[in-house]
Amino acid sequence: MRRFIALAVGFLTLAPVSVVAADASIPVLVPITGFLSLEGTSQRNGALLAIKNAPAGVRVTYDVSDTGVAPETAVNALERAISRGPVTAVVASMLGTQMLAMLPVAQENKVPLVTVSGTASITERNNPYVFRFFPGDAVVKAAHIRYAAEELRARRAALIYQTTAYGQSGRQHLQENAHKAGIEIVFEESIEVAVRDMSPVLGKAKAANPDVLLLHLHAPSTALVIRQAAAMNLRLPIVSGSAMHQPPTAALLEPAELAGVCAETNASPVSGGTPEADRFLEQYRREFNAEPDGFALGQYDGVMMVLEAVAKGASNAAAVTQALSTGSHKGVAMTYRSDGKGNMAHSAVIVCYDGQTRVPRIAKRYDEILAVTR
Amino acid sequence: MIATLQNGRHGPLALGALLLVAWPLVFSTPYDLRVFTLAGIYALLVLGYQFVFGHAGALALTQGAFFGLGAYVTGILGARYGQGFLVTFPLSIALPVLLAAVVAAPVLRLETHYFALATLGIAQVLLLVCLLAEPLTGGANGIPGVPGVEILGLSLPRGWPLLLFVWAWVIAGAFVAQRITGGLYGKAFQLMRASATAAQCVGIDIARLRLRTFLFSAAYAGAAGALFVHTLRVVSPEALEFHVMVAVLAMTVVGGRTRIAGAIVGAVLLVHLPEWFRFLESYYLIAYGVALLAMIVLAPDGLVGELERRWPQAPETLPTAEPLPPRSKLIPREPLLAVSDLRKRFGGVRAVDGVSLALKRGEIVGLIGPNGSGKTTLINVITGLLQAENGAVRFAGEPLGGLRPDTIARRGLARTFQNLDLVDELTAIDNVAVARAAFEGAGLRQALLAVGRDPTLERARRQARFLLERIGLGEEMGRPCGDLPHGTRRRVEIARALALQPSLLLLDEPAAGLSESEQADLARRVEILRDDGITMLIVEHNMPFLMPLADRLICLNVGRVIANGTPEEVQADPRVIEAYLGRRGEQA
Repeated sequence: MRRFIALAVGFLTLAPVSVVAADASIPVLVPITGFLSLEGTSQRNGALLAIKNAPAGVRVTYDVSDTGVAPETAVNALERAISRGPVTAVVASMLGTQMLAMLPVAQENKVPLVTVSGTASITERNNPYVFRFFPGDAVVKAAHIRYAAEELRARRAALIYQTTAYGQSGRQHLQENAHKAGIEIVFEESIEVAVRDMSPVLGKAKAANPDVLLLHLHAPSTALVIRQAAAMNLRLPIVSGSAMHQPPTAALLEPAELAGVCAETNASPVSGGTPEADRFLEQYRREFNAEPDGFALGQYDGVMMVLEAVAKGASNAAAVTQALSTGSHKGVAMTYRSDGKGNMAHSAVIVCYDGQTRVPRIAKRYDEILAVTR
Repeated sequence: MIATLQNGRHGPLALGALLLVAWPLVFSTPYDLRVFTLAGIYALLVLGYQFVFGHAGALALTQGAFFGLGAYVTGILGARYGQGFLVTFPLSIALPVLLAAVVAAPVLRLETHYFALATLGIAQVLLLVCLLAEPLTGGANGIPGVPGVEILGLSLPRGWPLLLFVWAWVIAGAFVAQRITGGLYGKAFQLMRASATAAQCVGIDIARLRLRTFLFSAAYAGAAGALFVHTLRVVSPEALEFHVMVAVLAMTVVGGRTRIAGAIVGAVLLVHLPEWFRFLESYYLIAYGVALLAMIVLAPDGLVGELERRWPQAPETLPTAEPLPPRSKLIPREPLLAVSDLRKRFGGVRAVDGVSLALKRGEIVGLIGPNGSGKTTLINVITGLLQAENGAVRFAGEPLGGLRPDTIARRGLARTFQNLDLVDELTAIDNVAVARAAFEGAGLRQALLAVGRDPTLERARRQARFLLERIGLGEEMGRPCGDLPHGTRRRVEIARALALQPSLLLLDEPAAGLSESEQADLARRVEILRDDGITMLIVEHNMPFLMPLADRLICLNVGRVIANGTPEEVQADPRVIEAYLGRRGEQA
C-alpha cells in the first residue's frame, strides 16, 4: 500500500512537468483599426508568433478580434470569447480605457488578461487577472528621465504629450521623475491625436529655452514633431516615448531627421543583441514581412509564458493565472515576474538614432529600475 | 363613431415585436445578452435623436455629447460619491437637458450646415473639458469602477436583469415618443420639418417646437448615457467622441428617421452587424461599411420606411365632417388691412418701395404686376416672414409690426404659397388638420396626458374633412398629398389656410398650373368664401381668372403701387400697360 501511495504521489508530482498533449484557448483581442492599429497589429503578430512557437504538445486554438478603440467593443469581444467556451488566457488590448472596461468582466469570469498596455492604472485596481508584459509608465518614464538627467545632463526640459490616457499617464510619471532627478519642466503642452501642425507647440517649447525635449506621444504625432523639429533646426536632444522605437515610426522619417533622437522602450528587436532576439527578428520578418517592435516582443514573451505554463500542466485559466502570478519567465526581451499587481516587466532600454540609419542602437539598459524585490 | 385612420401593418409590427422578444431567448449567452443590452441603450439614444434629426429635420451633432455627459454624471456620482441610481439617473437626464437649454439660444437660430457645425463645436468643447478636467473626470483614463444599477440597496446584476431593465426604459421611451409624435402635436413636427415657413404661417411656433425637440433629444441621450455606464462600469472620453454620434446618425438613417420601430430596428441591427462580421478580422469594417451603404442606398427612407412602402397602409377610413367652432369675431374696424409707406430692400434692390394700400372687409383685391415687381415680398412682409425697414401694417386696427408669423396667423391672417408648401407624405386631411393645432390646444402636456388616440387629432381631422369638402375634395382627401394632382394640392393648401378661420386670406398665384376647368371651379369656391365674409388679396398673373373675381386691382411695378382701382380702370391705365408691355418707343 505504501508503495502504491508513493508511486501515486510520485506520479502526481511528476505530472505537471511531463509534457503531454495539452489544449489552450487564447483569444487575441487587440486594436487592429483606429489610431492604435500600428501597435495593435504588433500585439497580434507577437501573439501569433508565440502561438506558432508553442511548446511541443501544446495545441492552441485562437481567433483574432479587432477591438477598435471603443471600450464597449473590447468588452463585447471579451464576452464573446468567453461565451464560446473555456478560455486559458486572453491577449488583451493595449489601450488603457479598453483594459479598464475589460477588467471587471475578466474578474467575474476569472480569466487572465495578458497585455502590453503600459498606460493607465490597470495594475492598480487590485484585479488579480491582469498581467502586463510591457514595463509600465513607472518603469519606462523613470528610465526616460534618468537618461535625460544622467546621460544628457539635462536640467531644463520641455514636455509635449498626447491628450489621451497614454499621454496623461506618462506626463504624470515624467513630472514625478523629473522632480526627483532635479529637472525643471520649463514648458509643457498636450496635443490632440488629430493635430498635424506642430510648429506652434515647438516654437513655444523653444522659447522656454530648454536643454532637452521630452516627448510622450503616439506614433503619428511623434513622427510629426521630430520631422518639424528637424525642419525648424531646433538643435535640442529629443528623448521620446516608446512610439519612436517602432520601425514604422522611424520609416516615416529620414535618417538625418532622426539624428540626436532617443526613445525609451522595453526592447528594440531590430537592434538585435542576443541570439534569441536575432532569431525572433528573423522569424518575425519571415512570417509577417514587417519589422518587429517592443510591443510585439513583449506580447510574444507574455504569450510564451502562458504557453509554457500550459505545457507544464496549467490546464485552465485558474492554473495559468496562478502560474503567471507566482512564476517567472526568461523571455527574449527580459525576465518577467509579477510584482504582485500584475506588472511583469521591470526593465527598460533607451535606444538612440545616429542620423545614418533608421535602426537604433541600444544606448542604455535599466534593469530592475524600481528595485522590485519579488 | 369615428372610423380609425390607422389600420395597416399590424401584422409586420407584431412579427417584429415577436422577433425582438425571441432574439435574446434564442441567443442567450452572456455575450448575446450584453450586446442586446447595448442595442437597447442605443435604441433609447436613437429614439431621442429622432426628435431633433427626424422630426425637426435639424442635423444636430450634439447627441453623442449629451450621451457622454449623462454617462459622466452617472460615472462621477456613482464611482466617486457612491450615489445610487435614484440620484444619478435623474441628474444624468437633467444635466444634458440643462446644457441643451443653455446652448439652444445661440445654436437654434442657425440653419443647415451652420447649425451642424455649431453643434459639433459644442460636442468638441465638452470632450476637451472632459479630457482636461482630470481631477473630476479622470482625464483621458476616465473613471473605472462605476457600480451597476442599485436601487434602494438592491443591485441589478448583468445579464437578464440588466437587459430587462434597459429594455423597460426603451419601451417607456418609445411610449413617450409615440405620445408626443403620434398625435396632432406630432403633425406639427412633420409640417415644421417639411417647411418651417408653412408651419409658421399656420400658427405654429417653430422656435418653441425646435427647442423642445432639442431638449427631448438631450433627455433621452442622458438616460442612455447613464444606462451605458452602468453596463460598461467605466466612463471614459470615448463616450463623448464623434464615433458615438456617427453611430447614432447611421442607426437613425438605417432604421428610419421618424419611426419609433425604426429606432429599435436601426439600433439592434447596427449594434449587432459588426459583431456578425467579426470573423472577417481586419476586413470586418469594410463589410460593415458596404452593408451600411447598401441599406442606405436600397432603403433611403430607412428599413421601416421600406417596409411601409412594400406593405402600404390600407386606405384610410375618413372621419365624418364636423364644422369648425365659431371663432370670436374681430372688432369690425375698417379697413381690415392697412399698409402704409412699407419699404423692404434686398441689398441694393428696393423690392417694396413705399407701398400703401388698404383692404375693406369682404373685398377681393387682385394684386398684379410684372415679375419682380414685389408682390410676393409684400405678402411676406404683411405675414411677418420678412421684416420691413419702414412703414406699418395694421390688421383690424392692430399693428402687426414685429410680430412673428405664427402670431399673425393666429390672429386670422392666412396665406397660401406661390410654390405649394405641403407635406407630401401626409394625407390631404392631415395636411389640413395640422393647421388646427394652435386652436385645438395641441401641446406637450395634452399629448402626454391624452388617453388612447389623441382626441385633438381626431377632432382636427373631422374639421379638416369639413373644410376639404367645402372646397370640393372627395375621397382623395385620404391619400398622401404627394400622390395628388397639382390642382387638388392647390385646393388642399387653400383648405389648410381656411383651417385658421381667417378674416383675411392672401392667395399667392392660386391659379398657377390649373386647367381651365380647375380655374373655373376655384373661382367659384373663392366667391363662396367671399360670401362667407372672408376678405382676400389675390396675387395673380392670370387675368382671365382674376378679372371677373376682383372688386379692385392694385398694380405694383418695381416695388411701387402704380395703379389702384376697378379692374377696368387698372387695365386701361397707361402706366400698367407700360409696366407690362414697355413704352411704344421701346417696342419700336
